[in-house]
Amino acid sequence: MLRSFLPKKILSSVVIQTAAFFLVVITIMEFFARTSWAQKTYTYRSVGNYHYQFEIKWFRLQDFVQKNGGVDVIILGSSLVNTGIDPAIMAQSYYEQTGIHLRIFNFGVEGLTIAPNSVNARILVNKYHPALLIYVTEMRDYIATDGLDYEQRFLSNPWIQYQEGKFNFTGWLIDHSMALQYYLPYRNWMQANFPQLFYSSFIYCSKNTLASGYEPELAMGENIDLPPDPNNPDDAQYFEAYGNFQIAPSRMGNLHSILSLGQSEGTKVLIVEMPVHSTFYVYVGGDKVHKQFQQTISSFVLSNGGSFIPAERCNDIPLIGRANRWHLNYLGAPVFSSCLGQQLAILADEQNTHYLNLDANSLK
Amino acid sequence: MNITSLVFAVFCAGTILVYWCLPARFRNWWLLVVSTGFIITWSWELAGILLVVATTNFYLGRWLGATENRQRVLLWIGILFNVFILVALKYSNFYIEALIRLFTRIGFGVGAGGLQLLVPIGLSFITLQLISYLIDIFKHHLSAEQSWLKFSIYVLYFPKFFSGPIERARTFIPKVNAPASLTKQQMIRALALIFLGLVRKRLFADALNAMIPMEAFVHPLNYSAPILLSFLVAYAFAIYNDFAGYSTIVRGVSSLFGIELINNFNIPYLSRSFTEFWTRWHISLSNWLRDYIYFPLSRALLGKIPAHDHIINIILPPVVTMLVSGLWHGLSWNLLLWGGIQGSFLVIERISKLRGPNIPPNELPKYRQIIGIIFVFSLVSLAWLPFRMDLITAKRYFAGLILPSNWAAPDWLWLKEVLRGHLPISGIYKWNIPDPRIILVLIPAIFLDWVQNRKNDELVFLKWRRWIQLALYIVVVLGILMMAFSDTGVPFVYQGF
Repeated sequence: MLRSFLPKKILSSVVIQTAAFFLVVITIMEFFARTSWAQKTYTYRSVGNYHYQFEIKWFRLQDFVQKNGGVDVIILGSSLVNTGIDPAIMAQSYYEQTGIHLRIFNFGVEGLTIAPNSVNARILVNKYHPALLIYVTEMRDYIATDGLDYEQRFLSNPWIQYQEGKFNFTGWLIDHSMALQYYLPYRNWMQANFPQLFYSSFIYCSKNTLASGYEPELAMGENIDLPPDPNNPDDAQYFEAYGNFQIAPSRMGNLHSILSLGQSEGTKVLIVEMPVHSTFYVYVGGDKVHKQFQQTISSFVLSNGGSFIPAERCNDIPLIGRANRWHLNYLGAPVFSSCLGQQLAILADEQNTHYLNLDANSLK
Repeated sequence: MNITSLVFAVFCAGTILVYWCLPARFRNWWLLVVSTGFIITWSWELAGILLVVATTNFYLGRWLGATENRQRVLLWIGILFNVFILVALKYSNFYIEALIRLFTRIGFGVGAGGLQLLVPIGLSFITLQLISYLIDIFKHHLSAEQSWLKFSIYVLYFPKFFSGPIERARTFIPKVNAPASLTKQQMIRALALIFLGLVRKRLFADALNAMIPMEAFVHPLNYSAPILLSFLVAYAFAIYNDFAGYSTIVRGVSSLFGIELINNFNIPYLSRSFTEFWTRWHISLSNWLRDYIYFPLSRALLGKIPAHDHIINIILPPVVTMLVSGLWHGLSWNLLLWGGIQGSFLVIERISKLRGPNIPPNELPKYRQIIGIIFVFSLVSLAWLPFRMDLITAKRYFAGLILPSNWAAPDWLWLKEVLRGHLPISGIYKWNIPDPRIILVLIPAIFLDWVQNRKNDELVFLKWRRWIQLALYIVVVLGILMMAFSDTGVPFVYQGF
């Protein structure tokens, strides 16, 4: 019956020809994108995630692995990690203690709490099989509402979902098409704020991010050592957001997810507490609340097969080494990184390991 | 279900396939089922209300057609019923708080969400259709429809559900009788219309909308005049391509059911007079306003004041018609002002033509046609200011455009430094030149209008050489795919009315 109503040969004409030519065009574009000339010429790539810094880190890590033959340690966390840990100094410090040179990559991404990072951790461990995954945490990671917007936007990305094992065509296409990856940094070219956004997020951030993933912060904080004032509008917002601190069970679930990688993937997991300035704890209710937090996290990590380094082990950061109450700057990061390298060496000795990734799959 | 989404495409493909596979006697039932289903994807309550509204109007129409007495009373009952439904649902925000307060005062406390009504998508368009149906029966231009099924399709038909076109029952219902088949030419034409609509919506309207920063419509004085001007032109083309794109897509989809919907836009920005503009812009609404507001009012006035050139006869019909148009778009002072401005344009044009011979625009010398196009486009674009923003902001925007101090010279030096790579591209609005991206999109948008107008054929590209067509299709498909990966994509502007 359908045949009598639908015109014959309609598909053989315009639609089929357009589809065929379209396929030819995109094939040519894909071939072109895979040439070494294109790869040298086009600096930026993207997987369509809203978070430009995540994308910069993702492709930096790919380059890092290609250049170094693998990665031994991936450090994961928020902007505190991004600007607070210099993998080169950490590796040097570790080398001085053990004589072993580790290939360390800083995968700290601004605004990402433990919730999206638990997904991120699984993706990275599955892909690169590092010997050690360090997750750098702090109290705000465990506030249920903190970074919720970032989390939702990050996790709703089709490519992230595809990496998680949830098949979708868009994610698959982005993952397999180099041409698309080269186009995606410019995908919002028509948006009014694109020039500003592209410059500040992609060009600037890309230029400042080192091959090891570390992005030095130049700013120096003022009056950090003065306790925050609830009557000061700048501080009041933090008192409101972080006061009545309680550890959210969902976030503990995220921590458990990271720790479980140690059992399922064979990667050791180390949880490090970021040495934020002591005045920060005023927002969350003082040192007592902080100590309770440390005890909870420490026992949870140890009972789930991980290791935990509390903040006070590496808290000799000079005041000029801090950009604000949370972030370290280019003067503080080397101090913390060096200390972390030493702590890692001590841990390696205790665990009788070296954290070298000898897995041939690491090049996958 | 957005009509530019893949889900809608799959929905249409499946629906059309089943439609043509079914025996002819079942096709109308299928149309009604899928139309109701489509509305249910937005709101089942709305679908229910619309079915009730359709049924009520169907019986009102039959009653109106059958009775000789009290016809006028019945007509007004019908009109008031439809207006009541529209006001009750669409303008609920005006009275819902007062109702909550009232209920609370008399002891029936209801929460903020307790009286929230559904989103009345498409209701403004449906209301006009129903009123025209009843008036046409009253005036014996139309016999009351005897088939509830066909009448319900007239009301709920999903391709025109969101934003029209505002079809008349006397032209639409006869088309519901399914044709025997779909010819190859019809199918090509339908697909070409969908293609054209997607180009207008996704490539032109969405891109231009995204290029205008929201801040420009909040704090316009933060921008220099050349930039404000570029935003205004971009907005004019964005709103046009948005609605024209929608109308073209739904015409294409409807054609695949063998039902031709009327063309809502005919290259309005190439109009040489305001009168011509309103025969090319939102044609179905303009025609409705002409037939049910303008003509009756003119006739009534002429009955009292027979002189055509009397000031009342010149001013009142266009101004009242355009004020009604403004109010139809929304109950707000800025939209009322927009209607008033458009009415004033028509009045001034009529007065200017009183003294000289009335020459049709296409018979004017070429240079006068071009001047007319620029003049009409400029004033129509300026009138979009109160259409888009509140009165105070519109006033500021206008001031930003005309204040000499805001007409700073372009900063070519800055641009030169950016091109050399010495300065970041980020300060794009500091250059005092229009955003080049807007020009990049406006060029093909204007070219499309120009070529359609020149050949007097909206699907002119179907007559181009095959290789040019293929190149065009590939560029457009790539463009649409590229837009699909962007974080843009706004609902149709007229979906809000």
